[in-house]
Amino acid sequence: MPPKDDLELQKLRKELDDLMTKIKEEQNKAADKTLEDICGDVASAPKVRLTTKKLLKGHINKVNSIHFSGDSRHAVTGSLDGKLIIWDTWTGNKVQIIPLRSSWVMSVAFAPSGNYVACGGMDNMCTVYDLNNRDSTGAAKIVRELLGYEGFLSSCRFLDDKTIITGSGDMKICLWDLEMGKRSLEFEAHSGDVVSISLSPDSSSYLTGSVDKSCRLWDLRDDKPKQTFFGHTSDVNSVCFHPSGYAFATGSEDKTARMFDIRSDQNIATYHPPNNTSGFTSCGLSLSGRYMLCGSDDSSVHIWDTLKNQHNGCLTGHENRITSLSVAGNGMAVATCSWDQNVRVWV
Amino acid sequence: IGLSDTAVMDMMISNLQQQRQVTEQLRREAAIKRISVSQAVLDIMKYITEHEQEDCLLVGFSSQKANPFREKSSCTLL
Repeated sequence: MPPKDDLELQKLRKELDDLMTKIKEEQNKAADKTLEDICGDVASAPKVRLTTKKLLKGHINKVNSIHFSGDSRHAVTGSLDGKLIIWDTWTGNKVQIIPLRSSWVMSVAFAPSGNYVACGGMDNMCTVYDLNNRDSTGAAKIVRELLGYEGFLSSCRFLDDKTIITGSGDMKICLWDLEMGKRSLEFEAHSGDVVSISLSPDSSSYLTGSVDKSCRLWDLRDDKPKQTFFGHTSDVNSVCFHPSGYAFATGSEDKTARMFDIRSDQNIATYHPPNNTSGFTSCGLSLSGRYMLCGSDDSSVHIWDTLKNQHNGCLTGHENRITSLSVAGNGMAVATCSWDQNVRVWV
Repeated sequence: IGLSDTAVMDMMISNLQQQRQVTEQLRREAAIKRISVSQAVLDIMKYITEHEQEDCLLVGFSSQKANPFREKSSCTLL
């Protein structure tokens, strides 16, 4: 490297260190109190009473991903058995079974409208199916195959029927215009796989969680993050926007769940399970945001009162790792899926 | 590999161009305005309080009829 560049590189590295120090100082200044102190007078939340109201059987291999439709009734699951199943969680019935061209599905998404589902995984693509139109075999018609990924598809979320956001193993985020079948944005988002995406309640921004241990907040139209959140000491497996839009929940391989606040730009609470043995694969928040729920490698869902930082209980039933969790939009139910091949709806 | 809390800095910055981008990004992030944690948490608490009554996990169902997952009474086919 020419000496002039070498000098600039050193300058930039020093500036980087100084900036990190400055950021930490500013965050510490903002940390005038702890969450536990501020919520000292708040009464503890009651013990959550959720049981498995529906045990949905049908998949014949590990189930990797689950997502509720915007109607809080239907949910889609993707399994290594090479199928997507659309479930009516109110009755337990299978509404549709969609055979996949590749069985290596890692992530599924339901459009809020209920009209489309998307999935992808080790096939390095994202396929979008129209639930209201069948192909000649009678299965939901493929309307888009989104190609060009240099890594596996690890996460996807519909903004609406025309737009999908994807996160992938090549560390990128892509925004797709589904009408045109083209990317409207594509950029490197993290320094590791982007494994989770959560849309803000007002749909103007979204969060990403990555194996690079950080979370980032993005404006829909930007290719540079607004903020980067540190704190986890291993892969962030799941991020979930707080319904207020002010904060977000995370679940991590580092065996903690956390709450990050956006406007004070920091980790405001760290939640531990009674036995720190297992990582968290998935997370969700109840409708008001009072409870955080995380699916764990230990086969159970751990629940915390977010304001009092108290472990509130566990949902037990699955017999193997819980891979994914989805809270219905109306807050009435929580759906989980597992390596035990089952799907459970907790009410 | 140390458990760095600055994972983004572990990026493989292998050239000047990348270093410029990473440093520029951090300049932007360092400049944001931050509110106090006490104000932030108070606002979160306010939101939670305002929506408590609609949160089924907190207050349950108002009546069994309101629960769409309940077992419906069975019908007999004559």
